Amino acid sequence: MASTAPGYPLHFVPVGNLLGILPILIVGGGAVMVLLWDLVRPRGQEVWLAGLTGLFLLAALGTAIGQWIANSGPIVVFNGAYANDRFALFADFVVLITALAVVVLSPGYLRRRGLAEGEYYILLLASVAGMLVLDGALNLIVIFLGIELLSIPLYVLAGFARDDQHSQEGAMKYLLLGGFASGFLLYGMALLYGETGHTSLTAIHAFLLRDATAGHIDPMVLAAVGLLAVGLAFKVSAAPFHWWTPDVYQGSPAVVTTFMSVATKVAAFAVFLRLFSATLAPYRAEWTVPIAVVAIISMIYGNVVAVAQTSIKRLLAYSGIAQAGYIMIGVALGRPDGTQASLYYLAAYAFMNTGAFAVVTILSRRGEDCDRYSELAGLARREPVLAGLMSLFMLSLAGFPLTVGFFGKFFLFSAAIHDGQLALAIWGILTSAVSLFYYLRVILKMYAPAADVGAVEEFEVASVSPEGTAMAAPTAVGPAVLVVALAGAGTIVLGIFPAVIYTLLQGISVVHG
Amino acid sequence: MSWPILSVTLFLPLAGAVAILAIPSSRARAIRLALMAVTALTLGLTCVVLVAYLAVPSAAASKLSGTANGQALSTIHSPITFQFQEQVNWLQSGTSLSHLHPAFNEGNSAFNQAAPPPINFSYHLGVDGLSVWLMALAALLFLVAAVVLSQREKRLRTFAVLMLLSEVGVLGVLTSLDLILFYFFWEAALIPLYFLMIGWGDRNRGRAALKFIIYTVAGSLFMLLAIFGVYFITGAQTGVYTFDLPTLIAAQSFVHTTQATTFSLFGHSFSLLNPQEWLFLAFALAFAIKVPLVPFHSWLPDAYSSGTTPFLIFFAGIVSKLGAFGLIRYNLTLFPQASHTFQPLMLGLAIASILYGALAALAQTDIKRIVGFASISHLGFVVLGIFALNVDGLNGAIIQMVNHGIVIAALFICVGVVESRFATRTLSQLGGLARPMPVLAGLFLVVTLAGLGMPLLNSFVGEFLILLGAFQSSPVWAVLASLGVILACWYMLRLYQGLTQGELRLPGTEAVSEQLQTVSRRLGRLDVGPVEVVALVPLVALMLVIGVYPAPVIRYGRFSAAQYVQAANRQTATDPALASSRATARSLP
Repeated sequence: MASTAPGYPLHFVPVGNLLGILPILIVGGGAVMVLLWDLVRPRGQEVWLAGLTGLFLLAALGTAIGQWIANSGPIVVFNGAYANDRFALFADFVVLITALAVVVLSPGYLRRRGLAEGEYYILLLASVAGMLVLDGALNLIVIFLGIELLSIPLYVLAGFARDDQHSQEGAMKYLLLGGFASGFLLYGMALLYGETGHTSLTAIHAFLLRDATAGHIDPMVLAAVGLLAVGLAFKVSAAPFHWWTPDVYQGSPAVVTTFMSVATKVAAFAVFLRLFSATLAPYRAEWTVPIAVVAIISMIYGNVVAVAQTSIKRLLAYSGIAQAGYIMIGVALGRPDGTQASLYYLAAYAFMNTGAFAVVTILSRRGEDCDRYSELAGLARREPVLAGLMSLFMLSLAGFPLTVGFFGKFFLFSAAIHDGQLALAIWGILTSAVSLFYYLRVILKMYAPAADVGAVEEFEVASVSPEGTAMAAPTAVGPAVLVVALAGAGTIVLGIFPAVIYTLLQGISVVHG
Repeated sequence: MSWPILSVTLFLPLAGAVAILAIPSSRARAIRLALMAVTALTLGLTCVVLVAYLAVPSAAASKLSGTANGQALSTIHSPITFQFQEQVNWLQSGTSLSHLHPAFNEGNSAFNQAAPPPINFSYHLGVDGLSVWLMALAALLFLVAAVVLSQREKRLRTFAVLMLLSEVGVLGVLTSLDLILFYFFWEAALIPLYFLMIGWGDRNRGRAALKFIIYTVAGSLFMLLAIFGVYFITGAQTGVYTFDLPTLIAAQSFVHTTQATTFSLFGHSFSLLNPQEWLFLAFALAFAIKVPLVPFHSWLPDAYSSGTTPFLIFFAGIVSKLGAFGLIRYNLTLFPQASHTFQPLMLGLAIASILYGALAALAQTDIKRIVGFASISHLGFVVLGIFALNVDGLNGAIIQMVNHGIVIAALFICVGVVESRFATRTLSQLGGLARPMPVLAGLFLVVTLAGLGMPLLNSFVGEFLILLGAFQSSPVWAVLASLGVILACWYMLRLYQGLTQGELRLPGTEAVSEQLQTVSRRLGRLDVGPVEVVALVPLVALMLVIGVYPAPVIRYGRFSAAQYVQAANRQTATDPALASSRATARSLP
C-alpha cells in the first residue's frame, strides 16, 4: 500500500507523481473550472462552456502527446498505482480525441433539442477523467475508482433529456444494470485480494506467476477472474452482458450516445487488455476459451440482431455489440499481437463510429433524435456530402478496404490465425459477411430508388415544417459537419496508410509490474 | 522501363475521375467526352504495356527452352516471370517486437511465446502474359462502355466517376503482385460497383446489388483468412514472412507439403485435409463466386438483368474474368499439389456450370437473363481449360477469357439496344426485328455466331483449345463439355431467331405497335445509332481477326500458359529438372 512504502509518507506527494497524471489533473481541474464558470456566466452562452471544455481537453491531449514524445519508457507513479506508459497514453489519445469531437458536436445539438445546460460539460469532463484514470490504472482500487468516475456522470448524461421518456428509461436501466455490473467487478476484486493479499496488479501478477509456475491453479482466483470478466464485459457491452446497450443507446441524447459508444468502450477495453493479457497472463490457459466464447457470442448476436433493426441508433447499438466482439478477439488471444490489434481496432472504431453517430446527431431535429430508419431515405438527394460520408463509415464498419475498418479487422484476424485460434477468425469472418447486410442496407436506404418515395415525402414535409427549419441553425451544423469530415478523412487516410497507427503501436509498452 | 508505367496506367483513371468531378454536372457533353478521353488514354497505355511485354518474353521463351540443360533450378524456383515490376514499401514492421514488450517477455517463459512475426506488405506491381491481355481487354471494354454511355443518362457525372474508380480497381487486381495489395483492390473495386448497381438499373437493382456484394465479400473474407494462412505457414517453414507473390511462389512452401498439418481449434486439432488443401479451397471459393461457378452463381442473373448496358459491358466483360484470373494466378501457383488433388472437383464444377448455364439459358424468357446464363456456361469452359492443367487447356482458357469479354460485351450492347427501343426484355413479346433494324440484325448475327463457337470467329479458337486440353486430361470431361457447345447453338440461336426472325412482333397492343412501326419506318430511328455501331464494330472486328488469324494470340498466350502449368506441376515429379524439361517440351509445339 502506498502509505507503507519507504521514503514516501502519505502526506508528501512528489511532483513527479503529479506529472505522471497530468492529463487527468487537467481534465479534472477543467471540470471544476467549468463548474465555477457555469455559476457566474451570463445566461444563454453555452457555446463558451463548450469552448472552455474543448480547451481543457486539447490541453490534456497536448500533454499526453508531449509525454509520449518525451518518454521512452513507462513511468509508474504513486507507488505503482498508476502507469503512464504508452499503452495508457495511446488509449488517452483515443478517448480525448473522441471527447473533443463530442464537445464540438454538442452545442448545436443541445440547442436544437432544447437541452442546453452547463452541467452537461461538467459531467462530460468528469467522465473523461474517469476514463483517463482507467487507462493507466495499476491497482484494483484505482480501477474501481476509474469505473465509478466514468459511470456515474454517464448515468446522469444518459437521462439528460429530462422530458424524454426513452431517455429516462435508458438512464434508469443503465444505472441499475451498471450498478449490478460494478458489484460483480467489486466482488471479483475482493476475491482476488482475498486470495493474493494484494491490490496492486504488479504484486498480483507476481503472485499468480509463482502460483502457476508451481502448477497450482487456484479456484478462488478463477472465480475472481470470471467475475472481473463479467463486470468488464458489461462495460464494453459484449453479449451476453449487453442487455442495457440498445435501450440506453436509443434513449440517450445522440451526442451522449456518441461519447458512450466510443470513449467508454476504449477505456473499458484498456482495463480489460491490461488486466487479462498482462496481470492475469499466468492463468491465460484458463480464461482464454471463455473470453473467446464471449467474443464469438457477441459477434453473432450483435450482427444477427442488427439485421432486424428499424431504428438507426439501435442498429448502431447492435453494431457496437458486434464490434465489441471483434475487439474481444484481441483480449482472448492474450498476446502482444492481439493487444496491438485490439488497440488498432479501437482507434479505427473511434473514427468510424464517431463519424456515424455524428451524422445521426446532425440529422436530429428539435424534440427528438433522428432515429427511424425511414428518415435516411433519400438522404443522398438532400445531403449528398453527409450521405457520402455516412456511406464511408458504414463501409468502414463493414471492413471494406480503403477504410480504416479494413485494417482493424486485418490485424485482428491475422493475430487470431497466427495464434492458431482459427475458430475466432472464422466466426469473425462469417459474422462480417452478415454485417454487410445491414450496413449496406443503410447505404441503400440513403440512395434508395424511387420505390420508397412515399417515405421520402413524408420526411421532407416534416423537415420543412417551421419548427424543423428554425432550429437547424447554421452555426450549429458548421462545426458538426467539420467533425464528420475529419472523421471521414481519418477513415480514408488511415485506411490507405495503416502504418501511421501501426508504427505507434509498435513501440507500445504495457506495464503490469 | 525507367518510369512506372503500371502505376501511371493504374492511377490515370483515378486522376480522370478527379478531373471529371471538376466539370459542372450540367455539362453532360463535356463529361462524356472527358470520360472517353480518359478511358481511351488508359487503353493506349495498356496497349503500350502489351506491346512492350510481348517484345520481352520471346527472349525469355528462348531461355525457357534451354532449361533442361543448365538453368533448370533457377527457372523452376520462380517459374513465372513478371515484367515492369515496381515495389514500394507499404507497411513494414521489421523489428521483432519482443524487446518492446517487457510485460509479455518477463517472467516464466511458459507463459510467453515467441514475439509475433512482423507484418510486411508492399505496393508491388507487375504483369505477365496472363494479365497484359486482360488489362488491354479491361481498358477496351471501359472505353466501349464510355462510348455507349448515353449523354442523357441520369446523374451522368457520378456514373462516370464510379466507372473510372471501378477501372482503377480492376486494373489494380490485374497488376498487383502482393497478396494484400491484391485483396485490397479486389474488395475496393466492389465499392464503386455497388454504387453503380444501386444507382442505375431497374427496380430490382437494390436487392441484386446486396446479393452480389454479400456473395462476393463472404467468399473474399475466407480468402483473406487463407492469405494469412499462406503468410504464416510460409513464414514458419522458410523464416521469410512475406505477402509478396513472386517470393511466395519461389518459396515453394506448398510444393512438398504432404502431411496433414493440423490446425488447432481451442486445443483440439483436426486434420481433415492438409493446410494446402484448405487454403486452396478458400481461394477457390472466392474466385468461384466471382466467376461464377454453378452452386455459387445465383447472384448473377439478378445482377445481369437489372443493370444498365454500359455497366454490364465492363461488369460482365471484365469483372467476371477476375475470378478466372485469380484461379490461374493464385491457385495454380501457390497450391500446386492441391490443384491436382481438387482437379476433379473443379472440372466437375466447370462441367456443371457449362451444362446448367446452357439449360437455364434455354428456359429463360428475359433476354438479359439468357445472356447471363450463357455467360455462366461460357465461363465454365474457361475453368475447364484452367483445370485441365495442361498447356493446351490453359492456353485456351486465357484466349477464351479475352474472347468471352469481347462477346459478352457485344451481346449486352445488342440486347441493350433492343431493351431501350421497346422497353421490354421479354423474348416472346419481340420478333422479326431484322426488318426494322437490319444493321443491328447483321452485327447481332456475327456476335451470336461468335457466342456459339462458330469456326473463323474468336470463340472457336478458345473452345477448341480448351476441349483439346480437357481431352488430354480425360476424354470424359471433353465429351461432357461438348454437350455444352451443342446447347450453345440452341440457346444462342433461340435468342437470335426469336428477336430478329419471323413475323414482326412488338410489345403493347396491336394499335400501339402499328403506330410504332409506321413512325419508326418513317424516321428510321429504330435501328442501331452511330454510337452503338462505333462501339460494336471494333468488337466484331476483333472477333473476326482473332477467329481468322489466331496464331499470335495463341503463341503469346502459350508462353504464359506453359509457365503456369509448370508452376502447377512442380510437385508431380521428384526430379525438378525432369519436371521442367517435361513442361518445356509440352510448351513448345
